[in-house]
Amino acid sequence: MKLYTRLRPAVVNGLRELQANKVRSLLSMSGIILGVASLVAMVTVVQGMVGNFRQFVDALGGIEKITVTREQLPKEQEHLAELSEGITLRDVERLRRTVPLVENISPEARVGYERLVVEGRETSTYVTGVSADYLPVAKRWVDPGFGRFISDLDGLNMNDVIVLGSAVVPELFSPNQDPIGQVVKLRGRRFTVIGVLNNIEGTGMQIRSANSRSSGNSWRWRNSGAFIPVLTAQVKFLGNDRLSGLGLRIRNPLQLQDAVEQTERTLLTAHKGLRDFAISTNEQVLEDFRKTEVAFKLSLGGVAGISLFVGGIGIMNVMLASINERIREIGVRKAVGARGSDLFLQFLAEAAVISVVGGIIGLVVSMGIVALMNYILMQALPTGAVATLDWAIMAQGLGFSVVVGLVAGVYPALRAASLDPIEALRHE
Amino acid sequence: MTPLIAIRGLRKTYLMGDENIHALAGVDLDFQAGEFVAILGPSGSGKSTLMHILGFMDTPSEGSIVFDGREVAVLAPDLRAWYRSNRVGFVFQSFNLLPRLTVEENVALPLLYREGSVPAANLIAARAALERVGMSHRLDHLPSQLSGGERQRVAIARAIVGSPSIIFADEPTGNLDVKNIDRILDLLGSLIKEGITVVLVTHDLSVAEKAHRVISMRAGLVHEDRSR
Ligand SMILES: Nc1ncnc2c1ncn2[C@@H]1O[C@H](COP(=O)(O)OP(=O)(O)OP(=O)(O)O)[C@@H](O)[C@H]1O
Ligand SMILES: [Mg+2]
Repeated sequence: MKLYTRLRPAVVNGLRELQANKVRSLLSMSGIILGVASLVAMVTVVQGMVGNFRQFVDALGGIEKITVTREQLPKEQEHLAELSEGITLRDVERLRRTVPLVENISPEARVGYERLVVEGRETSTYVTGVSADYLPVAKRWVDPGFGRFISDLDGLNMNDVIVLGSAVVPELFSPNQDPIGQVVKLRGRRFTVIGVLNNIEGTGMQIRSANSRSSGNSWRWRNSGAFIPVLTAQVKFLGNDRLSGLGLRIRNPLQLQDAVEQTERTLLTAHKGLRDFAISTNEQVLEDFRKTEVAFKLSLGGVAGISLFVGGIGIMNVMLASINERIREIGVRKAVGARGSDLFLQFLAEAAVISVVGGIIGLVVSMGIVALMNYILMQALPTGAVATLDWAIMAQGLGFSVVVGLVAGVYPALRAASLDPIEALRHE
Repeated sequence: MTPLIAIRGLRKTYLMGDENIHALAGVDLDFQAGEFVAILGPSGSGKSTLMHILGFMDTPSEGSIVFDGREVAVLAPDLRAWYRSNRVGFVFQSFNLLPRLTVEENVALPLLYREGSVPAANLIAARAALERVGMSHRLDHLPSQLSGGERQRVAIARAIVGSPSIIFADEPTGNLDVKNIDRILDLLGSLIKEGITVVLVTHDLSVAEKAHRVISMRAGLVHEDRSR
């Protein structure tokens, strides 16, 4: 209460000084404004990117996914290339039996970038041979009303059936046409469309209408593609039993490392020690991202830190100039009874007022920066809009500016407090 | 009757290079409550120095000052500040009003630095003080909007707002014309009737004539002290 009665007039006075010297105060605030703006924008954007990246990794199958891909033999095994059988459906069976940590195994046989033709229309997209396990591993599904996915029976029977990505549908069919049951030609063979995969939106929102499935969607690459039974692909198109890779979904993400190791052992044994495969996880992607995140934080944090430092110096400079101009005022205040501490408080409050006002302007600027960053990132990343401002971050930014203002105000305030009243009054 | 202020052997010495300047060279004086005292003297005779020390803005190099029964010659800065806002008022030749504060805010300023000060009560007291100097019609004006005489009346209101027992005025009429000098002197005279002691420094003999007692100083010493 006592401090409040002393602070209140000091703050009122600070605001009055600010109003009386608008341009000078604004200039002195510029460092604080830039510092708070970049600090808040940085934290917001990085947080947004982290959050969005989680979503992105999830769309890749999450961190519970292990990917096995076909690989060139390493140098020291090159002469054994004849012995390599590659990754086959036999590996799928072996893994099923020996690695119980794995819940689903999705064999994938890439056919290629192929032309899909219907009556009067055609388009090109990646065609892959997969099994029913593709859905849980890729974290995809078929929405009700959009048919079904490839079943085990389709696989066994080598059916000529095809499932389309949602972005492919409007390329081949008119909006009022139901793609299910239609026939699509692939390398001259007639495939029946049995389903359409769910549509992935950046925001996680699902748009039900097939017509709008591809419109303005930055997830387009995930929504394109077409899928046929893996055996159909191998027997009718590829002419061998090799797979391009496997997708493994483990039961418990915490056992990722164990599952990777067991998978590697099983495959090495089955492949007679040949390293004709590579194993990767999304954790590595996440790790790479974390490094980017740190780099981002360091560079923007550096800008924010330097700006706040320069802002502090700016405020100190203006306070010293202001005190020089107001030496007489200080003398008068002392002459009528102000203590050193009263003047200390007054000038400290003035510095704080400048920095708080600067901080608030900085927050407004940060909103602009975040909006701009969102716009840029939306163009650059497949993950769509990223950052939203958070009150806690803004409060932190403002808190930072107050601290800077107080620290910068201490020295000038001490000078004001220690002035001798008579000498101050004699000052012209 | 014990004097309001008793000064004994008061000295103020400034060191300028190798030379000592004795601004006050041993002053003995008593001021009674309710006195109207004028201090005359040539430039550099130590008048302002004496006023500053008595007004708790400066400390003497030597000597004793008993104010209201207490020895106050050497006090800690915060205690001197307390005396300035509670016991004495000061009026300057150049008014020394704060340009950004309104008339009533300027007058309320000494109260702001008092313990437990309440802004609303301060303004009421400021208005009462401005009433006494005949300036209550200019509460919201800035000092720059007032004439010199009006500014000095506001400065006097500021000096009396805290009900001090004594007011020190260092050449309060030095910047004013004859008509305004008379008004200010009448005003200071009326304060005497309220029991406030007034000590004013002047170069103007006609101003000094209005006082009950005239002290003239020379070279840091009391040269002459006569009451009428
Ligand atoms: N801070 C200081 N440092 C050195 N000398 C000083 C200082 N203050 C005052 N003096 C000297 O002390 C002497 C008395 O000064 P003071 O201001 O009291 O004179 P004064 O009687 O008020 O003169 P005036 O009528 O011109 O106002 C002068 O010689 C002055 O130069
Ligand atoms: Mg003088």
